[in-house]
This record gives sequence, C-alpha cells and structure tokens, in this order.
Amino acid sequence: MKTIKILGTGCAKCKQTEAVVRQTLTNLGIEANIVKVEDIQEIMKYNIFTTPVVVVDEIVKIKGKVPTSDEIKQLLLA
Amino acid sequence: METTTIKATEICPTSTFKRVQEGALLVDVREENEIQQVAFNVPKIMYVPISEFEKRFSEIPQDREVILVCQSGSRSLKATYFLMNHGYTHVVNMHSGIERWIKKGFPIIGDASSVQSDSCCSSNSCC
Repeated sequence: MKTIKILGTGCAKCKQTEAVVRQTLTNLGIEANIVKVEDIQEIMKYNIFTTPVVVVDEIVKIKGKVPTSDEIKQLLLA
Repeated sequence: METTTIKATEICPTSTFKRVQEGALLVDVREENEIQQVAFNVPKIMYVPISEFEKRFSEIPQDREVILVCQSGSRSLKATYFLMNHGYTHVVNMHSGIERWIKKGFPIIGDASSVQSDSCCSSNSCC
C-alpha cells in the first residue's frame, strides 16, 4: 500500500489538496495511507518552500500547487 | 542530505534588536515588493527572498550569527530549517516577523501601515 504525505501548514490549498487526493482514491477504489504533515520542521526535512506538497512513498511528486485529480491518478497508477 | 532533528531557536523582536546591535546579521526573506513598502532599519541586513532562497542561500555567511526574518515569522522559520539542513549552526528565527517588530516600535524604513497583520505570507511562498 502506498503512503501519501500531504505537506502544508493547514491553509486552504493544503486542504484542497487533501480533498483531491481522498476523492481520487475513492473514485479509483484504491487504499493508501494518507499522512498530513503540518509541522514546519517536518515539512522542511524535504527542503521545500512552496506548499502544498504531495509525497508518494517518500518521493516528492508535486509541489507548490493544488494537483488535479488526473495528476493524482497518474501517481497512484504509476 | 542530512536533515536536522533539532528544533530551530526562535527569538522575539526585542532580543533580535539587541543581537543586531551586538553584530548579528539580519536576513530578510520577504519579496522585493514587500521590502519596498516597509523594511527593517538596521545596520546589518541582507535580502534573500524565499523565491530565490534555494539558489542564493550560500551568500549567507556561516561564520556569524544570522537571524532570519519575514512578515509573520513563518517563511523565515522555513528558511531557518533550510539553513540548518545545509550545515548552518548559528541561525535563529525571529518569530512574529516585521508585524511584531513594528508594534514594538523598532526602527523601520517605509510605511508601517502597509503591513497587514492578518495576512498569511506572500502569494508565491504560502501554502
């Protein structure tokens, strides 16, 4: 099972990102561990300034924008 | 790269002002348009905006005390951790940013009213 981390300090775009990820998982019928990371120290372990960030199995896949459902779908099916 | 597990040190504007008088370097990570509106009026300051930070952070000296600042203390905290992750040991963050600095009456250049205390951070660096 994939682990998807959503990095962000809790603003609207981060919440939108989580919603897109959850909705895409539901649509595809895929299970994954979703971990929200809001602590700045934890976020900065990835040395990224622009959030939201989507990390799949510890690899940064998307940063600085709210992803589309299609983008998440591609990540999950890769 | 090793990432730090040490919590960043955060200090208030009053301590920041005192340390700057003693020789610490202020590094403002706000964007140019923000600095043009209002800036810290201290003798030793350099500007490394968050949007250029990854490219330019090596301009920041490692051998002296550095205090990171921004509008509210959020972006500068990220920058503090970034520097710590890159081997900097004498870096601290000023919490609450220029917003609190202004409220405490410390010296600025520009228009204090341009700082909106309810804003999050600049558009290209916020979440």
